[in-house]
Amino acid sequence: MIEEKGSFRDPAGSIYYLNQKVFRKLSKEGEDRLKFITDNNILNESIKDQYLIKTSILDKNDINHKFKDKLILEHEKIPFISYPYEWSFSQLKSAALHHLNFHLYLLEKGATLIDSSAYNIQFLGSKPIFIDVLSIKKYEEGEFWTGHKQFCENFLNPLVLSSKKGINFNNWFKGNLEGIETSEINKVLSFFDKFSYNIFVQIYLLDKLEKNAKKNKSLSLKKKKNKFPKKNFVLMLNQLKNFITSLKCKKNISLWQDYSDNNSYRTEEENVKKNCVKHFCKNNKFNKFLDIGCNNGLYSNIALENDVDYVVGIDYDLNSIEDAFNQNEKYRSKFLPLYFDGSNPSPNIGWNNLERKSFNNRAMFDGLIALAFEHHLAIAKNIPLKDVVEWIVSLAPKGLIEFVPKNDDTIKKMLEFKGDIFPNYTEENFQKFLQNKSKIVSSTKVSNSGRIIYEYER
Amino acid sequence: MQQKNKFLLILVLVFTSYSNMAYAYLDPGTGSIILQAILGFLAASVAAISVYWIKFKSIISKIFKKKNKIDKENKSN
Repeated sequence: MIEEKGSFRDPAGSIYYLNQKVFRKLSKEGEDRLKFITDNNILNESIKDQYLIKTSILDKNDINHKFKDKLILEHEKIPFISYPYEWSFSQLKSAALHHLNFHLYLLEKGATLIDSSAYNIQFLGSKPIFIDVLSIKKYEEGEFWTGHKQFCENFLNPLVLSSKKGINFNNWFKGNLEGIETSEINKVLSFFDKFSYNIFVQIYLLDKLEKNAKKNKSLSLKKKKNKFPKKNFVLMLNQLKNFITSLKCKKNISLWQDYSDNNSYRTEEENVKKNCVKHFCKNNKFNKFLDIGCNNGLYSNIALENDVDYVVGIDYDLNSIEDAFNQNEKYRSKFLPLYFDGSNPSPNIGWNNLERKSFNNRAMFDGLIALAFEHHLAIAKNIPLKDVVEWIVSLAPKGLIEFVPKNDDTIKKMLEFKGDIFPNYTEENFQKFLQNKSKIVSSTKVSNSGRIIYEYER
Repeated sequence: MQQKNKFLLILVLVFTSYSNMAYAYLDPGTGSIILQAILGFLAASVAAISVYWIKFKSIISKIFKKKNKIDKENKSN
């Protein structure tokens, strides 16, 4: 049994993994919260209406001895846990709207959410789902929205940063577990940006009030009931919902966004690649598959069409991830595109480096494709070819890796100003490094320039 | 103290009375609570003003309706 080290913040419950299943152990406080949502049928209805992750209450007799006398929930397993700093603008927007819609839904039922953490939303393919059952509690008339500040930092501020300033929030978010602070975003926004009602109230005014409250620490807060009536709570959530719905991603110029349409290889080369992926997937029937350098998801879709259950696509081009997320209607529940820089993957972060896991720690795939990818690390980022091959092979026991030779146009362009400082970058070395870690099952020539797809198995 | 800070301090003092909050594991932030109190107060003020405005409008319309009625009666006589 493995304890999830990232679930310590709310003492009402903690997460455990056992035999590929996810369990939640409840404390007395957690049991009280669960009683409220089950007595009022909120748990089942939220699951039925696809707001909340599928959850069942376990029979005490079925439970491992370590959990005896504790109330245990079992949750549906999310195929791949992702974090907000790995999402594109539309993914964070979709998660924010899911959070607000769910909160409005709960308020109608006399319940509320105790926090607004973006980490409580996960994606089943492109579909957001709320995963923290214990965040739901009984709503008391007049109570404030305790998760308001967290909502602004986790959702609103990163979205405003991208939408108003064209600055991607991902690396900023990755550097600060709680998102983007209101005082920071307020400094970035211009005078004219603050003419928007929501920006003025939720960012400018909030920052000023926060600073003043800090200055006047001796201020005693009197107790008085009903200071934030429910209708105002609902109004505030709706205003945020409308504002976030209106936000658009300010796209930056990207080198790879139109790669699938404008790439240098011809249709017949593309067909060879498609066939390779098709046969590889059909023969292996993978459950969890990784598409490294997925672009807009062309080959991820081919994998899904050929008996693969679930695909995680990763790419460092945010515009491509944005397109992959918005375009992939057919496989919405089976394809999760994520922002990922292979030369600087998501690390272990948070308390004791255990709260949010690194990409490598979450990478449990049974198959992968890395097409036209390795040279972006080995040539563009100077990472030794041996390390690149070993890292790719470590991510899944079976895979297809495309080797791009030096005389290919893409690499020629990369070396134009850099100069050829890569004497070890050869096909022979690539084969040798791959054979050191796996067995080469087959190789298929893809282009006249010498691109070759290798199938490996370790 | 600057004029702007004075204004904010007044807002803080006026609006910092808040409801009996349940203890939560998450710190909601004083600024956020004050902001919500302000928004709640403004919404209540707008609602109160609108009630008086509706009353005021109905009184005015009643006066004018009465006057019109009297005028019509005078004309018909």
